[in-house]
Amino acid sequence: MIKINNLAKNYGLNPVLRDVNLQVEQGEFVTLVGPNGAGKSTLMRIVATLIKQTSGNVTIGGWPLPQRADKVRRHIGLVSHQSMLYGDLTAAENLSFFARLYRLDDAAARVQQALKTVGLLARQRDPVSTFSRGMVQRLTIARATLHGPDVLLLDEPYTGLDQDAAQLLDDLLLRERGNGRTIFMITHDLVHGLDICDRVVILNRGKIMADIDSKQTTPTEFLDLYAAHTGRKKHE
Amino acid sequence: MNNSNQLSTFWAAVWAVVWKDLQIEKHTRQTISVMIMFSLVSVIMFNFALEANLAAAREVATGLLWSTILLAGTLGLNRSLAIERENQTMEAVLMAPIDRSAIYAGKVISISLFSLALEVVLIFIFIVFFNKPFWRPQVMLILVMGTIGYIAAGVIVTSMTIQTRTREVLLPVLLLPLSLPLVLPASIAVSAYMFPQLPDWGEVQGAISVVAIYDLLMLAAGFITYHYVVES
Repeated sequence: MIKINNLAKNYGLNPVLRDVNLQVEQGEFVTLVGPNGAGKSTLMRIVATLIKQTSGNVTIGGWPLPQRADKVRRHIGLVSHQSMLYGDLTAAENLSFFARLYRLDDAAARVQQALKTVGLLARQRDPVSTFSRGMVQRLTIARATLHGPDVLLLDEPYTGLDQDAAQLLDDLLLRERGNGRTIFMITHDLVHGLDICDRVVILNRGKIMADIDSKQTTPTEFLDLYAAHTGRKKHE
Repeated sequence: MNNSNQLSTFWAAVWAVVWKDLQIEKHTRQTISVMIMFSLVSVIMFNFALEANLAAAREVATGLLWSTILLAGTLGLNRSLAIERENQTMEAVLMAPIDRSAIYAGKVISISLFSLALEVVLIFIFIVFFNKPFWRPQVMLILVMGTIGYIAAGVIVTSMTIQTRTREVLLPVLLLPLSLPLVLPASIAVSAYMFPQLPDWGEVQGAISVVAIYDLLMLAAGFITYHYVVES
């Protein structure tokens, strides 16, 4: 579903990503981890069609980026640590706006269904600015999945969530994976990232250092590997 | 996708952006109310400053009207584009499968609507304070044309400056000189219709043509360049 070959990205003369090769199969859940400044968010923004690579090839569903970004956009959804929602609009109005942008058939019914799925139907007429962080993140997932994307991109989705909200987010993500969605996530929570996904990829200084099958690795082994590849202590 | 489908997708996206901006304004009333408050205070201050010479005040009323519209317009532009920056909502909009020029067109339409609403109030205030025929249809037509050109240029400039830390300062510094070729002929044309015994009609027609050409140029520049402005 996502194929990245020899990807490089420079900001001016500063290389942020170097020779990145990565493949994510359809229905797979892959977590990308790495220290601050490793290039995780830059990689995510390239896959999300928000910025262009300096060199290398990226294809999503067979469509190359950035040339066919228009095709790719209908098939991806992004959940970030920022809500990407309008605080002054109600939950239903936010989803209606994005339903209009994507020209969804039967938009009103889909908005209602999305709100029901994330448990916000009763709060649909309330402004998003009055929501808790957990509710905002649930609505963000509703926004990102409203148009039925094949690929769900998650950039630090657990930031600022308490334990209950994080558990709710886990349930939603596992449901999305059960629906056959490909999930590509960035997180700082190493153990949780390992626990929830099929594969974990370690990125450091713009290069992929390891690609690990999460079922074949214990959390302790993974933390040791992470420390060895990034030169960081486990708690960093 | 055929041309008819593309056009329909384009206008659906334009309407989505306009609808969203109108909904936000309906809930908050922050943009229009700030523009009106600023304009009201400005007109009162101008009026006090020129009270000693009412005839002079009437002579410069057209210029005062345009100055007020331009300055209040920068407030509206800043507010409307700042909304897109909060919570990175612009990124979610940019990830939608829509033409970037549809976002531009939507923003121009919604901010123009806010400015035109302001101008309805301003015309009433100017009639009360300066006792001049601002209600004439020709004056209103030129105001509408001038507003569209100013906002068309303003959305491009604001989309660039909104990313900077000095956006409140940078916007008027860049936009006001850029709007000079619009405001000068628009003021000439409005003055001509306020003092119909004075005008050289050839000059007035030329001024209106310049305003129309400015509108077309700015709209074309926006449609062509907005893609680069929001993605770089």
